Amino acid sequence: MTNFDTSNMESPLHHRVAHTNAANAGVVMKEDKFRGQLNLRGNPQDVAFTSAVESVLGVALPMAPSSSARNGDTVVYWLCPNEWLLIVASGTQGQVEADLRTAMEGQHIAVTDISSGQTLVNLSGTGVAELMQKSTVYDCHESNFPVGKVVQTTFAKTGTTMCKLEDGSFDLVIRRSFSDYFFLWLQDASDEYGLSVS
Amino acid sequence: MHHIYCPYCEEMREEEEYSYTGEAHIERPKDPAAISDEAWANYIFFRSNPRGIHHEMWYHAAGCRRYFNATRDTQSYKVHETYKMGEMPSITAQTLAVANLSEKGGAS
Amino acid sequence: MSPNLPQINRLATGGRIDRSKPMSFTFNGKTYQGFEGDTLASAMLANGVGVVGRSFKYSRARGILGHGAEEPNALMQLHKGKETIPNPRATQVELFDGLTATSTNGWPSAEFDLMSLMGKIGGKMMPPGFYYKTFMAPQKMWMTYEKLIRKAAGFGKLSLEADPDTYDKINAHCDVMVVGAGPAGLAAALEAGRSGKRVIIVDEQNEFGGTLLASTQTVDGIDAATWAEQATSQLEGMANVLVMPRTTAFGYYDHNFVVALERRTDHIGPVAKTGTRQRLHRIRAHQVILATGAIERPLVFGNNDLPGIMLSNSVSTYINRYAVVPGQRCVIMTTNDSGYQTALDIQGAGRTVVAVVDSRQTPNGRLVEAAKAAGIQVMAGHGVIEAQGSKKVMGAIVAPLDEAGDKVIGAGKTLSCDLIAVAGGWSPVVHLSCHTGSRPVWKDDVAGFVPGPSIQNQHLAGAVTGEYLLSEALNAGIQAGATASGTTSAQIFDCGDESIGVSQALYLVPHTKPISRAPKQFVDFQNDVTAAGIELAAREGFQSIEHVKRYTAMGFGTDQGKTGNINGMAIVAKTMNKSIAETGTTIFRPAYTPVTFGAIGGRDVGELLDPARHTAMHPWHLANGAEFENVGQWKRPWYFPQAGETMQQTLNRECLAVRNSVGILDASTLGKIDIQGKDAREFLNRVYTNAWSKLAPGKCRYGLMLKEDGMIFDDGVTACLSDNHFLMTTTSGGAAAVLGWLELWHQTEWPEMEVYFTSVTDQWATCSFAGPNSRKVLEKLCTDVDLSAEAMKFMDWREGTVAGIKARIFRISFTGELSFEVNVPADQGHYMWKKLMEAGEEFGITPYGTESMHVLRAEKGFIIAGQDTDGSMTPYDCLMGWAVGKTKEFSFLGERSFSRPDTARTDRKQLVGLKPKDPTVVIPEGAQIVMDPNQPIPMDMMGHVTSSYWSECLGHGIAMGTVKGGSDRMGETVYCPLADGRVLAAQICSPVFYDPKGDHHND
Repeated sequence: MTNFDTSNMESPLHHRVAHTNAANAGVVMKEDKFRGQLNLRGNPQDVAFTSAVESVLGVALPMAPSSSARNGDTVVYWLCPNEWLLIVASGTQGQVEADLRTAMEGQHIAVTDISSGQTLVNLSGTGVAELMQKSTVYDCHESNFPVGKVVQTTFAKTGTTMCKLEDGSFDLVIRRSFSDYFFLWLQDASDEYGLSVS
Repeated sequence: MHHIYCPYCEEMREEEEYSYTGEAHIERPKDPAAISDEAWANYIFFRSNPRGIHHEMWYHAAGCRRYFNATRDTQSYKVHETYKMGEMPSITAQTLAVANLSEKGGAS
Repeated sequence: MSPNLPQINRLATGGRIDRSKPMSFTFNGKTYQGFEGDTLASAMLANGVGVVGRSFKYSRARGILGHGAEEPNALMQLHKGKETIPNPRATQVELFDGLTATSTNGWPSAEFDLMSLMGKIGGKMMPPGFYYKTFMAPQKMWMTYEKLIRKAAGFGKLSLEADPDTYDKINAHCDVMVVGAGPAGLAAALEAGRSGKRVIIVDEQNEFGGTLLASTQTVDGIDAATWAEQATSQLEGMANVLVMPRTTAFGYYDHNFVVALERRTDHIGPVAKTGTRQRLHRIRAHQVILATGAIERPLVFGNNDLPGIMLSNSVSTYINRYAVVPGQRCVIMTTNDSGYQTALDIQGAGRTVVAVVDSRQTPNGRLVEAAKAAGIQVMAGHGVIEAQGSKKVMGAIVAPLDEAGDKVIGAGKTLSCDLIAVAGGWSPVVHLSCHTGSRPVWKDDVAGFVPGPSIQNQHLAGAVTGEYLLSEALNAGIQAGATASGTTSAQIFDCGDESIGVSQALYLVPHTKPISRAPKQFVDFQNDVTAAGIELAAREGFQSIEHVKRYTAMGFGTDQGKTGNINGMAIVAKTMNKSIAETGTTIFRPAYTPVTFGAIGGRDVGELLDPARHTAMHPWHLANGAEFENVGQWKRPWYFPQAGETMQQTLNRECLAVRNSVGILDASTLGKIDIQGKDAREFLNRVYTNAWSKLAPGKCRYGLMLKEDGMIFDDGVTACLSDNHFLMTTTSGGAAAVLGWLELWHQTEWPEMEVYFTSVTDQWATCSFAGPNSRKVLEKLCTDVDLSAEAMKFMDWREGTVAGIKARIFRISFTGELSFEVNVPADQGHYMWKKLMEAGEEFGITPYGTESMHVLRAEKGFIIAGQDTDGSMTPYDCLMGWAVGKTKEFSFLGERSFSRPDTARTDRKQLVGLKPKDPTVVIPEGAQIVMDPNQPIPMDMMGHVTSSYWSECLGHGIAMGTVKGGSDRMGETVYCPLADGRVLAAQICSPVFYDPKGDHHND
């Protein structure tokens, strides 16, 4: 959204922007700042609910465990059988929340804006597979973690919700209060590959 | 290090993602005021501690944040099954004993 | 630099060493030379180094026994200063140029050892159980004894400086994990690799191949070592196979979880190091193939610990792999055909085989015939009953044995020699299979324990099963690899190794004298456990093998009894007239070989030890000199000192600012849970002690949360956002536990309730500002909410715009003053904080931290769950019966427990205020409370102080504490006797010290 004013806002990793320590870094970190993030709860068996969500988002809720769905800037992560993370364009979360509430009027649902509480980080590069091995107990091998899969698991001593992208990179959702720890860990674990922050 | 199948995520996950949260199938008395102190104490304090098959609750804390149940052998640590909240175990000490008996019977 | 000594035992040709790459090293100060490809042990033997250390208890000279993980004697101290590494086995240390090693024991030196004198005198005085018997009492003296014993005998020493190395961990996952890259492991990995499965194969050595590297056999017509090289490069060429040399799988845990230690830089030494020294691999495998091999057993005979007595297979390995013959004249003592291979290897190396002494009456088989054909003297039906020499072997006393190997049946004679190679049979390496709880099983035909049944997806291949032929190992490897991969294979290897002769199960070679009188017959070299000691333990009534182990210390060394345990068990069994199967074995536990603590810690050290959680305003706190306090994982500003202030001065200034004008606190760390659904209100009724049915939108209420036992678990303020929408706050440390608690009840007991919970702790930044001027500050920034006392009452909340940001404004107070909390999305928290600081400047707005917050709330008698409560306090114990709903329809969590007899007692510890009699005194938190300070010890403990501070605003110390029956003791005097001898008196009072009527926060 072009007229989204972020001048008074600080993303969780805002102070890490300039950091870079390697020309041909094996790990590249990019924070996708200020994306709208909504936590959605509802009954997946209720067609009224699922169709209402689809009408607002333009994409059907992913129903299979650990799956995701995409429609342009809108990404939906399955979190548990009645919980999804909606990632929408920066600044649109208020409107999406309002639209959802209208569409689901009277239903047993919950929509919660958590855009400020977590941030989206993309990790890519030749060293990223090994970096992920150091950082998470989940098996990120392509045979177990294919493109589009979403997994909530541990990341070092904090947690993450992560998704594998088509280009082989990883999108990680990191909680705001743990983001400094996350970055310290990332910096340390990527030392042997080189880290670049863009 | 246990490797446990989450019945909601529908895959094996590492023990680090889970918390053990106590014995399964302990039901809260429907009318606490109506039961004796002894019955209440049994409900809040007393738990079985079997050597062998145990039905217990686990919490997928770092994953989907669902509670579920597991039938686990406290001696061998074998997890025989996991099942969703509200479901009953398909494997119990009794079914295993019967299975072992028929296995022995079949062999002799 | 001293000139290099010649490598007197090095062969001119052969071996897997690179003679074009000589390397210097020092051992105990002397400089020697070896070659690339040597271990420290092979290089020492090449140079004729005999004594490598002194024994633990008797301080006897010891030499190298084996060639791998089994080595009990050659423990080294590597490098110097902060780089020093204690206790690696020389047999597993790869040589590099400049390596510095010393013996770990022997004082003042291994060659000349004062303590051996004590060993000679003290030997008789140090029977098994010596430590228990001698040092049991007085217990406090144990530390003194231990220091002396350690100095005299001890193992390696740690540097007291920080470890300059780094270590890390990595998680790995595979379909098939192969432990061991000897013939069985290589074959298994090849088969599994060809199936396309994800395979990991590890081996503790620098080079894959295991016994193949020192074998003179062939595999399908190819030289064994060459076959190993080819197999290894095939594996390295497979994208689905991870090949990890220098990696020890040291622990095998539940559900096929294998932990392996990779040594990444140890082989290049402490210089020019990049990256981590060691990496811990945490491997989850669907299938595990144990191809861990077998370790040769020594035999137990008189003086069998003399330097120059070695395992037969190790002698062969030194010759064939390292081109080192560790002696000139060799006697071989064997109970099986293995010794004959060594005899042939020694002869092939051009040294003298004095005799093969074979306990069997009629040895036969291919190798026996080959040795005889080579002109080697075979003494069948004989045993080496005693070795002679002092610091090295000079001779072997050989005597005829009866058929069972129980008795000496004729006169002995002495054979002159400088090397005795001992082949006592093989012990399968069952260690890893034991780690998951599987008990090993004794097999008579193997004369050893093999892995027992396992519930893991575990497969075995090779010598670990007691099948020792090369072809058997390779073929078993193929089959294990196929089974683990879900395929089949008909591949058969041809090694031309026909069946060998039957071994004799002999462990203790009899002496002409009884065990108790014979020269020392060692079972466990590292812990100096002798046959006589074990026999004595059995006679003293230790019948369980586990008890014998603990009584004698057999198998307790860093080698875990890899060479000694079976012999010890055999002696126990024989002493008790039982079979080894009946006496059983001790169970091996991780780690297979010692693991550096650094590797177990990995990168979870320093600032990565535990995550530090920060709020959005953290940069401001840092820039403004805050001292921080840990609250759970949060770093919260503790206080904001100004130049020249003591901490108390800071607190006084901060507290007075709040009482007199306005102070500001970062309260973002409070747990926040968003609750939505038409049953949200009823859910609150069930989990909180008080009533929620009538709380209107725009209102807040304080709630107490109990466990079912009636004890306070958490507390906080919950706001009604709309009829079906609430925002709950929790303590900073309790957020995750409370969310889990709510989910537990919803998911297990009340799934029919229509309610959802979402954590929003990180979503909202909370600026809490308190004091008589707090409204004025807010009014400057917020114009769309009527903030007047009439319009926005205490415990109201409003949505409004503050500094241009959509915010939630709560009028709640934890200080007793007029107070507001502004919640904004955390992205704008830092900005909001700065705007409030600007707006408050004219009022001297003062940032304060958790310590002042504690003082301010204690002045008001507000509890902190977890500080003033400890899981044993009911609301009534905290004099908070006002927060308990008496007429709630649903029996809320914990309510039923109020009427339990123990919970209903009136003499329970209750939380009261404590006013020190001396107004200048602050009673230490944690101080114990008694009624009569003159009562003799043990005094009747009445309770303890839970919170205590200096109150600048009141001008005296204040405290809260638990006192038995405290609510009925108002006005009584209690005493706190302190460790420093002072006894502080205090008067029991109401915990509300400041503004008891609440006029201030209602302003």
